[in-house]
Amino acid sequence: MNRRHFLQGLVSTSYVVLSGASVLAPLNALAASGPKSKDGWLTTGTHFGAFKIKRKNGVIDQVKPFDLDKYPTDMINGIKGLVYNPSRVRYPMVRLDFLLNRHKSDTTQRGDFRFVRVTWDKALNLLKDSLDEVQTKYGPSGLHAGQTGWRATGQLHSSTSHMQRAIGMHGNFVKKIGDYSTGAGQTIMPYILGSTEVYAQGTSWSLILEESKTIILWSNDPYKNLQVGWNAETHESFAYLAQLKEKVKQGKIRVISIDPVVTKTQKYLGCEQLYVNPQTDVALMLGIAHEMVTQGLHDKTFIDGYSLGFDRFLPYLLGESDGVAKTPEWASQISGVTPEIIRDLAKVMTQGRTQLMMGWCIQRQQHGEQPYWMAAVLATMIGQIGLPGGGISYGHHYSGIGVPSSGAAAPGAFPRNLDEDQQPLFDSNDFKGASSTIPVARWIDAIMQPGKTIDANGSKVTFPDIKMMVFSGNNPWNHHQDRNKMKLAFHKLECVVTIDINWTATCRFSDIVLPACTTLERNDIDVYGSYANRGILAMHKMVEPLFESLSDFEIFTRFAAIMGKEKEYTRDMNELDWLKKLYNDCKKANAGKFAMPDFDTFWKDGYVHFGEGKPWTRHADFREDPEINPLGTPSGLIEIFSRKIAQFGYDDCPGHPTWMEKTERSHGGPGSNKFPVWMQSCHPDKRLHSQMCESQEYRETYTVQGREPVYLSPEDAKSRGIKDGDIVRVFNDRGQLLAGAVISDSFPKGIIRIHEGAWYGPVGKDGSKEGGAEVGALCSYGDPNTLTQDIGTSKLAQACAAYTCQVEFEKFRGKLPQVSSFDGPVETLV
Amino acid sequence: MENSMTKPAISEEQMNNTDMNKARAMVYRLLSSLFAKEIDHQLLHELTSEPAKAFWAQLASEPSFKRDVDAMVSVLESLTSDKALMELAADYCGLFLVGTKHSASPYASLYLQDISKSAKAGDQPLLFGEQHQLMLQFLKQSQLQVQTSFPEPADHLAVILAYVEHLCLSASDEEQLSFIESYLNSWLGKFAAKVTQCDSGDFYCALARLTQSWVNSDLTGLTEER
Repeated sequence: MNRRHFLQGLVSTSYVVLSGASVLAPLNALAASGPKSKDGWLTTGTHFGAFKIKRKNGVIDQVKPFDLDKYPTDMINGIKGLVYNPSRVRYPMVRLDFLLNRHKSDTTQRGDFRFVRVTWDKALNLLKDSLDEVQTKYGPSGLHAGQTGWRATGQLHSSTSHMQRAIGMHGNFVKKIGDYSTGAGQTIMPYILGSTEVYAQGTSWSLILEESKTIILWSNDPYKNLQVGWNAETHESFAYLAQLKEKVKQGKIRVISIDPVVTKTQKYLGCEQLYVNPQTDVALMLGIAHEMVTQGLHDKTFIDGYSLGFDRFLPYLLGESDGVAKTPEWASQISGVTPEIIRDLAKVMTQGRTQLMMGWCIQRQQHGEQPYWMAAVLATMIGQIGLPGGGISYGHHYSGIGVPSSGAAAPGAFPRNLDEDQQPLFDSNDFKGASSTIPVARWIDAIMQPGKTIDANGSKVTFPDIKMMVFSGNNPWNHHQDRNKMKLAFHKLECVVTIDINWTATCRFSDIVLPACTTLERNDIDVYGSYANRGILAMHKMVEPLFESLSDFEIFTRFAAIMGKEKEYTRDMNELDWLKKLYNDCKKANAGKFAMPDFDTFWKDGYVHFGEGKPWTRHADFREDPEINPLGTPSGLIEIFSRKIAQFGYDDCPGHPTWMEKTERSHGGPGSNKFPVWMQSCHPDKRLHSQMCESQEYRETYTVQGREPVYLSPEDAKSRGIKDGDIVRVFNDRGQLLAGAVISDSFPKGIIRIHEGAWYGPVGKDGSKEGGAEVGALCSYGDPNTLTQDIGTSKLAQACAAYTCQVEFEKFRGKLPQVSSFDGPVETLV
Repeated sequence: MENSMTKPAISEEQMNNTDMNKARAMVYRLLSSLFAKEIDHQLLHELTSEPAKAFWAQLASEPSFKRDVDAMVSVLESLTSDKALMELAADYCGLFLVGTKHSASPYASLYLQDISKSAKAGDQPLLFGEQHQLMLQFLKQSQLQVQTSFPEPADHLAVILAYVEHLCLSASDEEQLSFIESYLNSWLGKFAAKVTQCDSGDFYCALARLTQSWVNSDLTGLTEER
């Protein structure tokens, strides 16, 4: 029969399939028994909190919150989708044109997404060769390996530590100073209150609940932001917020949310809102201060005893120095708050105990230093700094600040720097006249204008000529501003290397992409509660690293081996040795104070509890005796006027808090005739920055037609013919994006919100499938940083100013492109 | 692969059946290996050897295979430089190694998922899901496992094809028919269409179509022999 003949014909060709082994092998009894650890519930933790996981047949099956977590975030429902995500980086990959042409590749192709798989050995040698090339040709100023951020949790496997130690063993490189979240705040506050304030432990919630009469949430949404933490988050703050809600209901504490929009916290607490025009908070604060002075409400004794420079500020406030008195009427015209309310606020704040709680958003705008400084001045005038339930805080929405610390020592970490006696392969420290450290948000400026000198925090920074970037566990194609400018800058880079778990936009715009495994695929330990230090958490490996992904420890141990520095890198210790060392060092530090069992017991139990802490008041010691316990400011006092800042001579950050107009502002401000709508791009409610955006099932709980939501007012929707659920094109001169309309009363006219962290998914300008690499591309998913402005807050901090951003939007009527953000580097979008 | 000459003598009919199954197994093995990884120099050398040329020619003698076999052979013959091999590897990467929605991922789960569950637009099932578990069970029953050097979910096309290769040599026609129908042919058409849609070159779309035609013809053969 034909089939027989045909098949026999095949056999008779004597062709034999030789190449490689079959993908199948006989079942190995040992391997078949599955992962060595038991399949029951195991403990681990992430930024989203601690939780327990149950496996089934070697695969993560169920996730449930940790026993101690009484307020878990529903983001843990997205964990499984992170691990088994279709956008996992599965193998080491190299952009094809880079593989062919190395440092002379066509860099305009970045974003066209043509990659090939290579072996780990090849990829790591390619990394080494690229570093050799840059160090030889340009020296350390050619390499920037300092864009780092929210690495996955775990004290041993921190992607930042591993990358910087390993790359540092190869050679020196440009680093950053500051961060995107709090750049302006953390730069100015040491001059004013003596510390960054943003990352300082705050007065305990229990004292605030007992003592405060009024709480001002100023641009602050703790109920949203406390879901995540820098370490495994305990979510204990939510118990206090629940008590606060009760006190608001009973009329015992008055909470006023000063914010242009109705926040999640406001809705939860059922508290009052005071609407203020976007970016005008400083004017409002000045109006309040003016009223306090003219009515004699301010605490002159406190000002005299604890602060410096009120006399230098007063002439400005009263208009003696510039001819403009900062009266409630003046403030009203700018801020949109009536003079009556401003006068009332001055009274409310100075009658009874008032706690000011600042959020971080208002310092991510042009002159973002000013609202923080002026708020400190207001708190000084109120005179309650150092009293329980009074004064000012800048972090009660962050990582459980305000939850009393246990006082225990937290575990140390794998070293980020070289050991003292270690030298890099390329030991040159010649940065060719350029700065070795640059403000975090100015790296794109540096790439585009090497050699340019800018002012920054009292110094001159000369931009290095950056030719190569190395990122690990970091996604600047989320957190940096102005995608189209970034594309132009990336054309100038010769080599970009990214190590991550999933194909972020940063991976997609890279040349070498290396797969790291997730936290659930390695063993680690973490402190439970960044500020609470409630205990130590075992982070058990739940599954073997998927595909060819490796732990950060393993990736850079292999890289160090290529440099002949493996033992130097690991100090000749493996993963388990390190875990034991970190645990035992911690045990030693806590000896006699906090009982800790031996490592094996801890590892089996999964957790060691340090107990509760004692309530504490920020700045109480300073209030008690400012001479014995001075602040960290130059004078040791609160600096209402900063001689140091004044000496810098910056026009955009003078010696005392000042209202300054923005380059673009809504509600009658500059540029609002062309782009009338202010876009806020605050921290998301359902992600940690861009982490978790790729987890599809969870993402679909909030997306609109598969797009990131854009929240907008009923009035703006109506005037543009937009219905809830429509796709909207948001645009300005810098870029354009598509997002899904969510019409909400929480948003007033002229204000929209798109949460940052929405994955960038460029398609052609007209929505066509190709052209994602081009400048002007349309973001198919809704990344707000397609539209934001890449400018420094001021010459002081040079920090991220994403909130100074005007846009317009319209109903999208074109052919809707597919979302291109979550599918890895697929070159042709169909 | 073992040399059939070393086998003990058996009746002509049986030998024919054994040979037939060996031939079928060989084709499944070849298809599996082509989906399992990129074509490197060594594999290219083998695929363009004289015996391989004869094999391709014989395969192309079947009219329903001819167009795709010719296309594949033509691409193989054009792979005369490292760059050409890398371009083909980039095609492979874009199709099979990244993402799922816009690529032609070789995982059964993406094509076999319960339609009622995936009513939402653009739904992408997670990797290592139900189909992976199902294939693990099949493999275990047959005392097999996926090679550790192939760290892919067990519902990868290369694994399924390799499993059919195993069945060709060990299972009854009925068992083969049942498995191929349910776990391979049920999604191969959709997969081949996706590869054809997404491939920026000519090789892998031809390979996917050839696989589909081969499986179709093999099913017909198995059915007729019952």
